[in-house]
Amino acid sequence: MKVLVAVKRVIDYNVKIRVKPDNSDVDLTNVKMAMNPFCEIAVEEAVRLKEKGVATEVVAVTVGPKAAQEQLRTALALGADRAIHVESDERVESLGAAKALAKLVEEEQPGLVILGKQAIDTDNNQTGQMLAALTGLPQGTFASEVVVSGDGTDGKVQVTREIDGGLQTVELTLPVIVTTDLRLNEPRYAKLPDIMKAKKKPLDVKSPADLGVEVASKTQLLKVEPPAERQGGVKVSSVDELVDKLKNEAKVL
Amino acid sequence: MNFTFTDDEIAFQDAAKKVSAEVLKNNAKHYDETREFCSDSLKALGELGFWGMNLPSEYDGVDISSIGMTLAVEEVAYYCAATCSSLTAHFLSTDSILIGGTKQQKQDFLPRCAAGELLGAFALTEPGAGSNPAEMRTKATRTEEGWHLTGTKHYITNGAYADFLVVYAKTDPEAGHKGISAFLIERGTEGIEYASPEKTLGLRGSHIYEISFDCVVPESALLGEEGAGFSTAMEVLDRGRVEIAAMSLGIARAAYDDSLAWSKDRVVSGKPLCRHQGIQWKLAEMHTQLEAAKMVTYKAADSRDSDRRFSVESAVAKLFASEAAAMITDNAVQIHGGYGYSSDLPIERYYRDARITRIFEGTSEIQKLIIGRAITS
Ligand SMILES: Cc1cc2nc3c(=O)[nH]c(=O)nc-3n(C[C@H](O)[C@H](O)[C@H](O)COP(=O)(O)OP(=O)(O)OC[C@H]3O[C@@H](n4cnc5c(N)ncnc54)[C@H](O)[C@@H]3O)c2cc1C
Repeated sequence: MKVLVAVKRVIDYNVKIRVKPDNSDVDLTNVKMAMNPFCEIAVEEAVRLKEKGVATEVVAVTVGPKAAQEQLRTALALGADRAIHVESDERVESLGAAKALAKLVEEEQPGLVILGKQAIDTDNNQTGQMLAALTGLPQGTFASEVVVSGDGTDGKVQVTREIDGGLQTVELTLPVIVTTDLRLNEPRYAKLPDIMKAKKKPLDVKSPADLGVEVASKTQLLKVEPPAERQGGVKVSSVDELVDKLKNEAKVL
Repeated sequence: MNFTFTDDEIAFQDAAKKVSAEVLKNNAKHYDETREFCSDSLKALGELGFWGMNLPSEYDGVDISSIGMTLAVEEVAYYCAATCSSLTAHFLSTDSILIGGTKQQKQDFLPRCAAGELLGAFALTEPGAGSNPAEMRTKATRTEEGWHLTGTKHYITNGAYADFLVVYAKTDPEAGHKGISAFLIERGTEGIEYASPEKTLGLRGSHIYEISFDCVVPESALLGEEGAGFSTAMEVLDRGRVEIAAMSLGIARAAYDDSLAWSKDRVVSGKPLCRHQGIQWKLAEMHTQLEAAKMVTYKAADSRDSDRRFSVESAVAKLFASEAAAMITDNAVQIHGGYGYSSDLPIERYYRDARITRIFEGTSEIQKLIIGRAITS
């Protein structure tokens, strides 16, 4: 069974986000970029399936600028067998990415497509679902466990989903789309020798036109604003004062 | 001149940053407070191939440029200088084998060192011979049973934790530095004694040991050729000094980053510290020292990969970066005020950890001696 795993280049989660002075977007100049943490979990799951002998090949794919090849290389260092880069300098959002991925699903015919449930930059939480809609494949989103029964021979997969207040397990018929939640696994670190070996693994570059899709976003970004600065708190000297403030200043009582 | 890093170099920097920020950082304070050896952090790096960063792929190393290695060492030091010290001491031992060893010795040891299975130590310094190692008194005499080693080494990083020691000893006491040879001695060899680890100002998670020898080792323990020990050690130290410069950079950058962030948050007399000119100038000086230290360090790393000799470049890098780290960590304490002196923040640890970089692998005075001799010869 082939596994297609999607990864996105996003601002590193350790970086303190700055907004451009004209509020047009987040400021990305000289900012450290990394693989979206949910995508790391997706890669890890795919690689584990390969190590278990369930997956025969892991193909990493990204839709984004040339620099996103860094993230593909990370995926290759972590254990993906080959990579596909759909190169675009446009601002790609969920639907554009999902369209490109849908074409690749058609070309590659994977048994399993794994994506992060959301990317930490735009927090849309849509690509996996849109991909399922476009391909007509069943989806198991917010996965905290993925079990391919009979090691893929009986064509079924059970996905345990993290839902409000509990867990839900669904059984799906392959091929399927899975999106990862935080607790699915703990991603490994790339080993230095594997980082060097990753360079020798195949990486195909395609344009959206090659796939016959348009990936540019149809929405227009009007403005980005940083969250309001936190105001300092006040200390009150008695319960009465607290109640008074809650009633008359905060007007919550 | 080209001031950009290659994709490989950036990938190594990223990989080092990730594991250091997520694993090493969490252990650093604990090691410092308890003086526990940095085993877990060191092991985490070993499993990911960091122990073989100085080695070619022929011996299961990674064929990364010295700049790539420098960037990775810097990240390790940024989050835990003690772990960095143990790692670079390991590199001194494997560089000794790489430079001085026979093909067989390289094959026997280096792949396992690269894989994180064997930890090494480099034993040159003695109680009576530090800055001038040619004055060493440890001796190795050829006997029927093999080489008989007697003497004492001290301040040996990794000491009792090391699976093997590269020990420098006189095989011909009359021949001065030409009479020095190196030996590969495995842990557990009868006749080796380790004293308890020294208590030190900084790098408390990286232990240093006094080790005494009265042991017999087989002929095969001689590293490479008899009499080649001193030149091997000097070549190893030329390489090692680039790593100490990188370690200095890492500690200094941590102190600088924390100071900059602190100066923006901390409000004194109605404005953030960084808006007071006296503090802003300090930050500007720290920034400048850091930038200059990076340049000499990366240049030395680049020369290290050339066929030219790079003793002067590496001495310049080590001297400048270690002195810069002293200035930067000292200012970091000053900018933080009492908070910088308290152990609640890592600032005082940076200050203590940075201090050693002006001493080991040749003191600042010895670097000046190397540079001075070269430019006046
Ligand atoms: C934490 C730590 C880890 C270490 N790890 C190792 C290790 O793994 N392996 C190892 O072999 N050694 C190791 N060392 C030893 C270290 O390399 C020596 O301490 C160092 O080289 C200085 O030698 P010394 O202590 O004997 O000082 P000395 O040589 O006694 O020097 C004392 C002072 O005199 C100055 N001085 C000496 N000669 C001259 C001169 N010609 N002109 C002007 N000034 C001079 C020095 O600069 C210094 O300021 C370590 C030391 C420490 C503290």
